[in-house]
Amino acid sequence: MKWRERGIYMLSLLISILLGLGVGALLMLATGHDPIAGYRAMIEGALGDKWAPDTILRNSGLGNTLYRASLLMITGLATAVASDAGLFNVGGQGQMLLGALVAAFLGAQMTTLLPFTAGWPVWLITAVCLIAAVLAGMIFALIPALMKIKLNISEVVTTILLNSVALYFCTYMANGPLKAPGKGSQTAVILGDLNFTRFFTPSNLSQAVFIVAGITLLVWYIMNRSSWGYEMRMTGQNSRFAKFSGLKDGKLAVAGMLISGAMCGAVGMLEVFGWKHRYGVDLSTDFYWDGMLVAMIMRYKPLGIILMSFFFGILKAGAIKIQSSAGIPIEIIQVIQSIIIFFMAAEQGLIQRFQVWRARRHPRREEVKRA
Amino acid sequence: MIQFSDLVSFSSLMSTLGTATIVILAGLGCLMTEQAGMMNIGLDGMITASAFAAGVVSWLTGSWILGLLAGLLTGLLLGLFYAVMVVPLKSDEFVIGVTLNLFLVALSTFLYRNLPPAADGLHLDMGSGMAIPSISFGGNAGAAVSVSILVPVSLALVAVCQAFLYSTRHGFWLRAAGEKPESLRSVGRSPDRMKLVASLLCGAFCGLSGAYLLNYVHSFTEGISGSRGYVAVACVIFGRSNPLLVTCAALFFGLVDTVSTRLQVAGVVDSTLTAAFPYVGTILMMLVLAIRNEYRKAGQAKSALERQEAVK
Repeated sequence: MKWRERGIYMLSLLISILLGLGVGALLMLATGHDPIAGYRAMIEGALGDKWAPDTILRNSGLGNTLYRASLLMITGLATAVASDAGLFNVGGQGQMLLGALVAAFLGAQMTTLLPFTAGWPVWLITAVCLIAAVLAGMIFALIPALMKIKLNISEVVTTILLNSVALYFCTYMANGPLKAPGKGSQTAVILGDLNFTRFFTPSNLSQAVFIVAGITLLVWYIMNRSSWGYEMRMTGQNSRFAKFSGLKDGKLAVAGMLISGAMCGAVGMLEVFGWKHRYGVDLSTDFYWDGMLVAMIMRYKPLGIILMSFFFGILKAGAIKIQSSAGIPIEIIQVIQSIIIFFMAAEQGLIQRFQVWRARRHPRREEVKRA
Repeated sequence: MIQFSDLVSFSSLMSTLGTATIVILAGLGCLMTEQAGMMNIGLDGMITASAFAAGVVSWLTGSWILGLLAGLLTGLLLGLFYAVMVVPLKSDEFVIGVTLNLFLVALSTFLYRNLPPAADGLHLDMGSGMAIPSISFGGNAGAAVSVSILVPVSLALVAVCQAFLYSTRHGFWLRAAGEKPESLRSVGRSPDRMKLVASLLCGAFCGLSGAYLLNYVHSFTEGISGSRGYVAVACVIFGRSNPLLVTCAALFFGLVDTVSTRLQVAGVVDSTLTAAFPYVGTILMMLVLAIRNEYRKAGQAKSALERQEAVK
C-alpha cells in the first residue's frame, strides 16, 4: 500500500511538471515566442551548450545548476528540519542576511580589530566566520521559537515580521556604520585569501558546494538515523504522544528551529565567501521561498528535497539563457515553477475528489473491492 | 534644524493617508479571510496583478472606471482561485499564499515585458489612463493638497466592514466560520460558503488596492507593490483583525514611513533603521498581549482555587 501511495505521488508529480511546462509553453506561444526554442535554451543554459566556443563556457551552465540546486537543497532541508520538529521557519531570509552580514564583517575586519588573529591560518579564520554566521542565524531563530513555546505566539507571523526587521537592519548597517567608502550600500570586501575557489568561473559554483554537501549529509543523518532526530520527528508529528513518552516537546522544537537557523546563517556566510565577497544590499535571499516550497511539495522528505532541488536548479539556471538567447523574459521560469507547485498543493484534494466522484459513478465496483 | 511642524503638518498627514490607503484596502481584504479562519499572505501578488490589469485596461480604453473595474475583477478572480484551492481542494493556505505572491508578481512582470514598447522605445506609461479624480484641500502653507476620491471611499469602507462584521448576521457567520465552524454548521450554515465569501471580499479589496496603487504611483513598474502586501498582513496582526484597529495600524505604519522619509531628507536619521520600527513594535505588542494573557489565566486559576478552598 505504501508503494502504491508513493507511486501515485510520483505520478502526480510528473503530471504536475508536465502541466507546468505545458502552461509555460502556451504562455510563450500567446506572447509570440517559440516554446521549443525557449526550452532548448533553458536546457542548454542549465546543462551545457554543445556549441559553446570553449569548455569553460560549456560547463558554466552546469556550474550554475549545481550552485542553484545546492542553495535550494540546504534551504529546503532547513525548512524540513524545523517542521519535522513541529515549527515552521519562514524566517530563513532574515537569518541568512544576518549570517551574511556577520561573516562579511568578520571576513573583512577581524584581523585588524583583533591583531592576535592576524597570524592565524586561513582555514581557522574561515571557520570562525562560519561559526559566527551560524550563531547569528541561531540567535535570530531562537526568538520566534521561544515566543512560540513559552507564549504560543504563531512562529509563522513572527518570522515573517523578523525578516523585515533583519532586512532593514542589515541595509542600515551596509548604508551606515559598516559602509565601505565609495558608491553603493555595501560593506568592505573580505580579505582576498578567504575567498573560496570558484569552478567554471562565469558560474557562481565554488568550494562552498562541498560545505553544503557536508551539512546536507549531517542533517540527513541527524534527522533520519539518530535517536535525537527520531525524537524530534515524533514531537513534530504528534506532540501529545511524544509528551506521554516522556519527551520534552518544547526543547526539541526549539532545537529543530535552532538547527534550521544555523543552516540559514551558514548559507549567508557561504554566499559571501563563495562569490559575493562582501555584504551588499543587492544580496538576494529570495531563493529561500523556493527552497521552502520545494520542501513543502516533497512533504519534507530529505531525499525528495535533494532530488527536486536538482530539477528546480535546472529551471533556475536555465532561466538566464532563456532570456539572453531566446529573448523570453526570465520570469517565465517562476511562472512555470508556481504552476507546478499549485498542482502539487492541490494534489491530495484532487485525488480525494476524484475518488469520491468515481465511487459515486460506480458504486458497485467500490462495494466489490471492499468485499 | 528640522521643525516639528515640518513633520506633523496637514500635508504630511495627507501624504500619510495617501500611502496608507493602499495598505488599508489590502488590510480590509486580509482581515476578512483572517476572520474566516484562513491566513492569506498572497496579498502582495494580488495587489500587483490587479494594478497590472487596471493599467492595461485603462491604457487600452483610456477610462479610469474601466481600469478600476478590471482591477476589481482580477481581484475577485484571484479571491475565487484562493478559495477553490484552499476550501474544496484542501491545499495548505500558506503554500498557496506564498506561491500566489511569487506567481502573480512573475506573471505581471512577464506580461509587462512582453507589451510592445512605446514610441520613444521606453516602456509604456500605463498609469496615464488611470487618472482617478482627486479632491483638493487648501494646505496650511497655502499649497493645495489633493487626494484621490478613493481615499475617502476606502475610509467609508472601513466603517462598512466594521458594521458588517460586528452588526450583521452574515458578518457573525463569517467570524463563526473562523472561530467555531462546527457551531456554524449546527445552525445549518456552511462554513465553507462563508470562507468563499471572505476570500472573494479579500480579492475585491486587493483589486481596489491595486487599482489605487497604480493611480498613486502613476505608472506600472516591476516590484510596484513595494511589499505593501506584507505590511498589510502585519497590520492585520497588529490590529487583531478588527477593521478600525487595522486602519489605525496602517496609518501608524504610514506615519512612520512619512516621518522617516522627511527625517532622512533633513539628514537626521537613516530611514532604513526607522523603517524597521513598526515591525519591532508589532512583535513587542504580540509579546505584551501574550504575557498579559498568561497572567490573566494564572490569575483566574488562582481565584478558582481560592473559591474551591472557600467552599471546603
